[in-house]
Amino acid sequence: MSKTKIEEINRNIYDIKNKDEYDFKIKKGLTKEIIEEISKQKNDPDWMRDFRLKALETYNKLELPTWGPDISELNMDEIATYVKPKTKLNNSWDDVPDDIKDTFDKLGIPEAEKSSLAGVGAQYDSEVVYHSMKQELISQGVVYTDMETAVREYEDLVKSHFMRCVPVNDHKFVALHGAVWSGGSFVYVPKGVKVDIPLQSYFRLNSPESGQFEHTLIIVDEGASLHFIEGCSAPKYNKVNLHAGCVELYVKKNAYLRYSTIENWSKNMLNLNTKKAIVEEGGQVDWVTGSFGSKISMLYPMSILNGKGAKTEYTGISFAGKGQNLDNGFKVIHNAPNTSSVVNAKSISKNGGKCTYRSLVRITENAKNSKSSVSCESLMLDDFSISDTIPVNDIRTDEVEFSHEAKIGKISDKTIFYLMSRGLSEDDAKAMIVRGFAYPISKELPVEYAVEMNNLINLELEGAIG
Amino acid sequence: MENIKLNETPVRTSRNFNINNIKLENIVIPENLEEFKNVTISEIGSKITIGSNVDKFNLTYGLGEFFTNQVNNNSNYKANIVVDSKTNKEVKVEFKLDSNNSNLADNIEITANESTKATIILKYESDKDVVGYHNGVIRAKAKENAVLNIVIVNLLNELSNNFISIENNFEENSKINYYIIDFGGKNSITNYFSNIIGENADNKLNTIYLGKDNQLFDLNYIGELYGKKSNIDIEVQGALTDNAKKHFKGTIDFKKGCKKATGNENENCILLSESAKSLALPMLLCSEEEVEGNHSSSAGKIGEKELFYIMSRGFEIKEAMKLMVRAKFNKILENIKNEDLRIQILEEIDKRLD
Repeated sequence: MSKTKIEEINRNIYDIKNKDEYDFKIKKGLTKEIIEEISKQKNDPDWMRDFRLKALETYNKLELPTWGPDISELNMDEIATYVKPKTKLNNSWDDVPDDIKDTFDKLGIPEAEKSSLAGVGAQYDSEVVYHSMKQELISQGVVYTDMETAVREYEDLVKSHFMRCVPVNDHKFVALHGAVWSGGSFVYVPKGVKVDIPLQSYFRLNSPESGQFEHTLIIVDEGASLHFIEGCSAPKYNKVNLHAGCVELYVKKNAYLRYSTIENWSKNMLNLNTKKAIVEEGGQVDWVTGSFGSKISMLYPMSILNGKGAKTEYTGISFAGKGQNLDNGFKVIHNAPNTSSVVNAKSISKNGGKCTYRSLVRITENAKNSKSSVSCESLMLDDFSISDTIPVNDIRTDEVEFSHEAKIGKISDKTIFYLMSRGLSEDDAKAMIVRGFAYPISKELPVEYAVEMNNLINLELEGAIG
Repeated sequence: MENIKLNETPVRTSRNFNINNIKLENIVIPENLEEFKNVTISEIGSKITIGSNVDKFNLTYGLGEFFTNQVNNNSNYKANIVVDSKTNKEVKVEFKLDSNNSNLADNIEITANESTKATIILKYESDKDVVGYHNGVIRAKAKENAVLNIVIVNLLNELSNNFISIENNFEENSKINYYIIDFGGKNSITNYFSNIIGENADNKLNTIYLGKDNQLFDLNYIGELYGKKSNIDIEVQGALTDNAKKHFKGTIDFKKGCKKATGNENENCILLSESAKSLALPMLLCSEEEVEGNHSSSAGKIGEKELFYIMSRGFEIKEAMKLMVRAKFNKILENIKNEDLRIQILEEIDKRLD
């Protein structure tokens, strides 16, 4: 019996390679001189240059993780950490060089900006090449700009928040990020302002044997709300590229932030990204994540619920195909009374791909009357893929309700039988099950991203699974 | 006095989660072990033999090299239990740590021959004021169609340290059912590994633990499924009060080729005080498509509604809590057919929760 084939992700759009042209590319490696040169190129204030150098010291002291995927192939001597594209920051797509604009056109960014976004940032290699936001948000005091501009124009705000949520000694790749960061977005939503239409930053890495280290810093002030979308992709090269970005989210009292990501890096990418949110009293942060690309991914967004009644939800799906090792998950620290977290994680492994769900739920002594509910489901689509679930549940007080459930398996014969008894063909039944499996995640995404995700999980039906 | 790191998980996770291993401080490790004499063995028929010839062994996991070597080279009690009974015979081996026998390193090998059945009870107790040390290795093998029930009861005092490594091997259609009652020890550290190779082999591991004062339980349970249609069920029910702590590390690993295998893991911890702590890592590892794996884990205090209901029937809060804990544990305890032992365990639960 032939098998249903669930296609590898169609990467035609994402694999478009532009000529490796740049205004400046730092030499490969990681030395004090290189960091000083990056700092000079970026015209950093003194405090930022000193910060970078200190981060480099921390990087040199820290060890590689002793757990998770093997990242020994990463050789920082072979990675250029700063590539300045041959354009400045623009606020009109007409001013962006044709080849770069063409790439973003094909990725659908300018079109999405017109139809469904309140603002867009587009980063190409190490620098943001386009940034724009609707006038009505500007007049409400919303700030959405590239990080370099923010360092200059909102220095006090940046200084008091930059790498405070994610300290440089968190792990080795955060320290690396602190030393070489470039690009990224800064968002400030003033008290009480509700940004109803999402903002989106898209990160594109074109240059081979290089890294992207964008920094995203978002502050949603008291009572305000925001939906921020992050997209990322790169064409595939033979040698490894590195992504070690950092996302810091500050959700103030009674504020709300939804952070959505569709990650579709190329399959030569090591995605060692760090994302954290600090949530104050009554605030809520929701993470929605689709992880499809990268050769290796180690990504565990984290919510620190510091205020009474703070909430978080994580909804994520990973799809690992041939040659991919996606080690993703979520961390939450309940650090105040009446906090709550809900986790819904799914993964699909096929064609030798490996998915790992790795997580932490910690409910501290301060978090009386907190609740946490975790659900993980993994689908295996063949017998040479791998799916692991490695959750840690650390409960340090009695006044809690905590539950965790996980399931691993293949498509259930009973469910197929049930659907067939309702008149569906076997193939349609199986296709429906896989789409249904991903539905709880795709329904949380903005519609154009949900369409993209459904395209990514493209079914080619040729008979029966299994 | 030694500081030691032991009981490594088969797969590591972030060091910051503090669960890859356990570090113990100021552990007194006895060097010269004299023969352990305070052992009582229940009457056995001719179908079960207990000899003292035990071969040297290697453990796939175990608590750590030191603990394995100590039992391999300096064991002060050895038992080679061979089962030939076709009906379920029971053997009870009771170890009592006292002032003359305070250190025990026992090396126990259990073999159930083809199509045999038996229940082996291993009970560890200690006198009230004895600072005891127990390091045991239990290796069980169930041959084709054999059924082994193994009951381990740890009622050591809170001055003693309890270390146990268990390794099980399964042939086709065999079953090993474990009932572990883990109540005693200042530190009670268990490494349990089932190598489920036989087709249709079945392993059920049922544990209850009860911690009080500053007791620490570190349970590292690993089941590797290789056999087609093989199964493992891990059920862990526990309660912690005072400053007691529990680390539960449960791994079900579906290896390539174990088609139609199933694995279930359920861990539930009742927290009876605000300073008791529960840390859990229920892992599912899967390299085979045609399997079904589930795990669930929960922690929290006894539901207020349930407590209120029992108290409305005239019970005081302490009694109501005891009832709830006993009810949770009873699902596992009712499988222990030895009534005297079951009653002793129930009394022990009441005593420890007083």
